[in-house]
Amino acid sequence: MPARPVRDLPRHRNLFRMIFAPTVWAVHFLLAYATTAIWCAKVGGDVARLAWIVTGYTVLAEALIVWFAVAMWRQWDYMDDFDYVHDGDTDEDRREFLGHAGFMLACLSFVAVIFTALPAWLIGTCA
Amino acid sequence: MTEATPGDLSARSRRRDADKPEARLAKGIYPPTEEMLTAPVDPEVSKAQADRLRAVWDDPPGWRYWSAVNNSEVGVWYSMTAFGFMLIAGGLALVMRLQLAVPDNDLISAERFNQFFTMHGSAMMFLFAVPMFEAVSILLLPAFLGARDMPFPRLSAYGYWAFLIGGIFVMGSLLFGVGPEGGWFMYPPLTTIDEGVGPDIWLLGLSFIEVASIAAAVELIVGTIKCRPPGMRINLMPLYAWYVLVVGVMILFAFPPLIAGDFLFELERSFDWPFFDPERGGDPLLWQHLFWIFGHPEVYIIFLPSIAVAAMVVPAAAQRPMVGYNWIVLSAVGTGFLSFGLWVHHMFTTGLPAISLGFFSAASEAVVIPTGVQLFAFVATLMAGRVKMILPMLWIAGALAIFTAGGLTGVMVALAPFDWQAHDSYFVVAHLHYTLFGGMVFPLIGGIYFFYPFIRKQRMSERLGRISFWLTFTGFNICFLPMHLTGLLGMPRRVYTYPEGVGWDTLNMISTLGSFVVAAGILVFAWDLVRPKGGLMKERNPWNAGSLMWAHDIPDQFWGVRSIPYITSRNPLWDQPGIVERMDAGGYYLPDAQEGLRETIVTSAIDARPQHVARVTGPAWVTLWAAAFTGGAFIFPTFHWYPPAIVCAVAAVLCVCYWLWTSTALIPDNPEKDVGLGLTLPTYVSGPAAPGWWGVFITMLGDMTAFASLIFGMFFYWTARADFPPPLAEHAGAGWVAASALLYGAAWGATRAARTLNRHGRGAAARWGLGGGAALGLLGAAALVGSVTGLDPTSHVYPAMLWALAVWTAAHTLAGTVMQLFCLAASIFGKVRAEYDAPIWNTCLYWHFMLITALVSAAAIGLLPRLL
Repeated sequence: MPARPVRDLPRHRNLFRMIFAPTVWAVHFLLAYATTAIWCAKVGGDVARLAWIVTGYTVLAEALIVWFAVAMWRQWDYMDDFDYVHDGDTDEDRREFLGHAGFMLACLSFVAVIFTALPAWLIGTCA
Repeated sequence: MTEATPGDLSARSRRRDADKPEARLAKGIYPPTEEMLTAPVDPEVSKAQADRLRAVWDDPPGWRYWSAVNNSEVGVWYSMTAFGFMLIAGGLALVMRLQLAVPDNDLISAERFNQFFTMHGSAMMFLFAVPMFEAVSILLLPAFLGARDMPFPRLSAYGYWAFLIGGIFVMGSLLFGVGPEGGWFMYPPLTTIDEGVGPDIWLLGLSFIEVASIAAAVELIVGTIKCRPPGMRINLMPLYAWYVLVVGVMILFAFPPLIAGDFLFELERSFDWPFFDPERGGDPLLWQHLFWIFGHPEVYIIFLPSIAVAAMVVPAAAQRPMVGYNWIVLSAVGTGFLSFGLWVHHMFTTGLPAISLGFFSAASEAVVIPTGVQLFAFVATLMAGRVKMILPMLWIAGALAIFTAGGLTGVMVALAPFDWQAHDSYFVVAHLHYTLFGGMVFPLIGGIYFFYPFIRKQRMSERLGRISFWLTFTGFNICFLPMHLTGLLGMPRRVYTYPEGVGWDTLNMISTLGSFVVAAGILVFAWDLVRPKGGLMKERNPWNAGSLMWAHDIPDQFWGVRSIPYITSRNPLWDQPGIVERMDAGGYYLPDAQEGLRETIVTSAIDARPQHVARVTGPAWVTLWAAAFTGGAFIFPTFHWYPPAIVCAVAAVLCVCYWLWTSTALIPDNPEKDVGLGLTLPTYVSGPAAPGWWGVFITMLGDMTAFASLIFGMFFYWTARADFPPPLAEHAGAGWVAASALLYGAAWGATRAARTLNRHGRGAAARWGLGGGAALGLLGAAALVGSVTGLDPTSHVYPAMLWALAVWTAAHTLAGTVMQLFCLAASIFGKVRAEYDAPIWNTCLYWHFMLITALVSAAAIGLLPRLL
């Protein structure tokens, strides 16, 4: 039972919010890949500037993911009843389930975005 | 808990809602009250209902059995066919192992060896692994969801027949010695200069099967999101359904790039458009990109369904709910996403920039996180429960061991510097077989042992199962473990023989011996599968499992479920006492078939609130004819026989139109129906409440992916080649392109207006919109093709690419026109009316996507090259 009443809103029924963070990962990945491909083919040379561009993408992507992780954490509302199972047939269970799954996907995406950015920082060459 | 939204639309709200999809809504009481769910059911009434249901859902008698479309029949045919192809492909592997058993062997020629390894890989991937997932899901998913059938039964049957025809065609090529020889990934230029028909057989035959796969994926996605039983909210779905959803979506984004690649490849082979020919501006690497954008997610498309099977076996073995349901959903979705960032790790040796390789290497390591989470959730469940080492669990345990080993070598080869050493060696052969056997074959066989009592209402042999397991498990390791070493000692893949005394002799002999032990294990399983087993089981739930499927009927009834239950738990059979008895008695939804129609309940996507009674299609021959003609349309071009191919394509379209006209979106006698437990549901819906709308939407998402792959191709040429577009190249006619964009905009507008006009009861005006839209669309296509007719597509890849985009768009326009004309005819003959307008909604939806395709094409043909 909820410790305090929460209104169930349409966005709490939105499956796409759950996959927003991994979508940010995918867009970040594609941008990093496309920028590198174009840079190495058309500009060449100075990889340090490329690394700065990828860093910019990364900061932006991580900001979006964190912002969303906070929203999903709120939707999960873990601190009201410490529920992490969500196997009931109520609106609250469904809402908190989507929030919980979305929050964890955001955490995974956060790590995966850092993974993606690492090569731009560590590898200093197009060759 | 709330009452269902009142359904009667007042005059005012009717006006406001005139353009909304729901002309009618559910009425009455939902969710059902406790008294309703415990009210006694009159046995006499129940028996009469059961008789009516049985008559409606029974298979056709005699030879007409083959016109059946029930998921229980199609699923069995599908999985047995896929298993048959697997045995053939396994046989090819045994011949290859015999050839490699000793050095300098001449058992088979190099040419035959090439055909064998090509078809071994192609068949295992395209004819076994992916179809097997779809077959098993078609067979099991409705049972997990307490549904009567899949939403589009005839589409499953069509997909099956297409698969059978395509599979026989592709495998049959081996008997005539003309099979493809270029490896399962068909790299150009080796395959573009091949003079035989092998590559064409591969491209067209497998494209045909890919179409069938996408059809099944659409069916499964719609089934998962729209055909759940009332009350089964998204947080209560069986994990199997989650995996089906994720894998279905992955197929939708993974297969279309390959279809786009096949399209370009076949244009090169048939008409000499130089997409992969470097001398005329092309680039063979584009094929590698498109192939592996498909090919790597494909590995997970194979792996995740098997994990789904494990996710059903593990809780039954541990006799407790899965630990970390949320974690598994997280990892399924996460793996689904990350697996699309791995494709270049198959291309580490192609000379891409080091930073680019790094991105893919990083993603390949990141995907380990969600994959590991799933395995740990299984281990945690087993530790937390009281494990009964049932036979299916033995196979799953073997799978976990083998897959983990394959995953570890995967981490190794995902590191570019290691891969440079191991690339194309037997190390990779060992790695991929560890992942695929552990990730697919073992869980699948375990799953068959687990689900067989549901499928055939009989038990498989415990003893034979254990013999089969230990033979397969030991044989597998004897065969493939030494291959790591063979590879590190330098033996390359795909060589038909090797010289004596380079240190590979003993290892190869051991592998060959092991391969025959595996074969023996698989044959024991195959025998256990088909041998006569006497009478039916007595108990319905032999594993004491909690999922809804084990409420099945013994002996089998074709109705799927006697009545569609109201679900409040993840493991209804454990947590909802009396549910099976009440289902049997017809005490839940839709216990009757008064109208003599096949029906199932459609619910909302997230909370599974009942929305609609869907009339699903029954047995038909037209699906078979449609598949046969589609087959003709793909197979004749292999031999450059274009006139019969065109005849077949037209006939296939006619078959599909006949099928849609006679059996879908039929206007019901009564617009609403009492489905029991105080609930009345509409019998006809259009727009997003209707499964058909979702089918179109999901299909078009896949189509957009294919189109995006072509656009990717254009950018790829631009980055990879200095001469794209070539300096001084002739461009497409700007005026024509602009005219085309305007015409497409008008065609879309007319179609969209027709939907609103029709809903307002202005049928005549709507018909003008549909007819005019069709004419404008055709003119738009003509203008787009007209803009490129002055260019020679064989001269350089730039004009070829423009041509390919124009042809792609024009072909889609033809399909869109057929849909508009279908709606026009339906409106004239009264099949579409003001509130019965599902075909127009679907056509409009198609045209939304069509408009995007047309405008992007126009921009890519007319605008982009001038900017580049």
